[in-house]
Amino acid sequence: MISPMTEDDDRVFKALADPTRRHLLDRLFERDGRTLTELESELEMSRFGVMKHLRVLEDAGLVATRRSGREKLHYLNPVPIRLIHDRWIDKYTERRVSALAELKSRLEETA
Amino acid sequence: MSTITSTALATQVYQVFIKATPEAVWDAITRPEFTARYYHGARITITRDHYDSRGPQGEVWGEDSVLEFDPPRRLVHAWRSLYDPEMADEEASRVTWEIEPRESGYCLLTVVHDRLDQSPKTAASVSGTGWMMVLSGLKTLVETGEPLVDFAATS
Repeated sequence: MISPMTEDDDRVFKALADPTRRHLLDRLFERDGRTLTELESELEMSRFGVMKHLRVLEDAGLVATRRSGREKLHYLNPVPIRLIHDRWIDKYTERRVSALAELKSRLEETA
Repeated sequence: MSTITSTALATQVYQVFIKATPEAVWDAITRPEFTARYYHGARITITRDHYDSRGPQGEVWGEDSVLEFDPPRRLVHAWRSLYDPEMADEEASRVTWEIEPRESGYCLLTVVHDRLDQSPKTAASVSGTGWMMVLSGLKTLVETGEPLVDFAATS
């Protein structure tokens, strides 16, 4: 489950810092809504190992789960990555836009 | 770096934590003065019996039935993509909004868009950046009072 604490970003970066976890996200990106058994069959790893990685991804909010009958399905939740993008990447875009705006006003002043 | 292609799915699940009351999140989802500021400029009004989405010029972007209306916790409505002629011909799908209060004044908002089996174009359109943009915009608006993108200025 996603934690609402301020260390949200830390959890996302830590979760993404592991190749197996990125591999799990890639598998969900290809086909979403999978069971643990399905995900386990694509990795050379024990069921317990896959469970542990999925748990880290869930805690970071990168994987959302839903029950469907007796099965627990795992879904890729890209929203935390979008939020990091909004917070960090947009800043650069803003700066570029404001730099251009400043350049425009300077050029117009001297014209 | 390899590119991975995604099969847009019949069921999609998105979640986001929002530091706000369930009532504030509910209002942001159901009232046009809020949705116009984060939902691609759409003015969406959701009442107990009707879902209505309008574009900036009043054009119909969505008109659907409301299946469950339990403020401020749970909302289920049908979805047809009337903003796009090709997608509009597809079968109606279903959107479920769940708002769960959590500790420290946060809510967990979950959006499930399902029954997309017969609507591949809609499924592809709302996946990827579709719901992701809407939910990150909603969070930013509710938490800061400011939209991520100023749709009024760009439209």
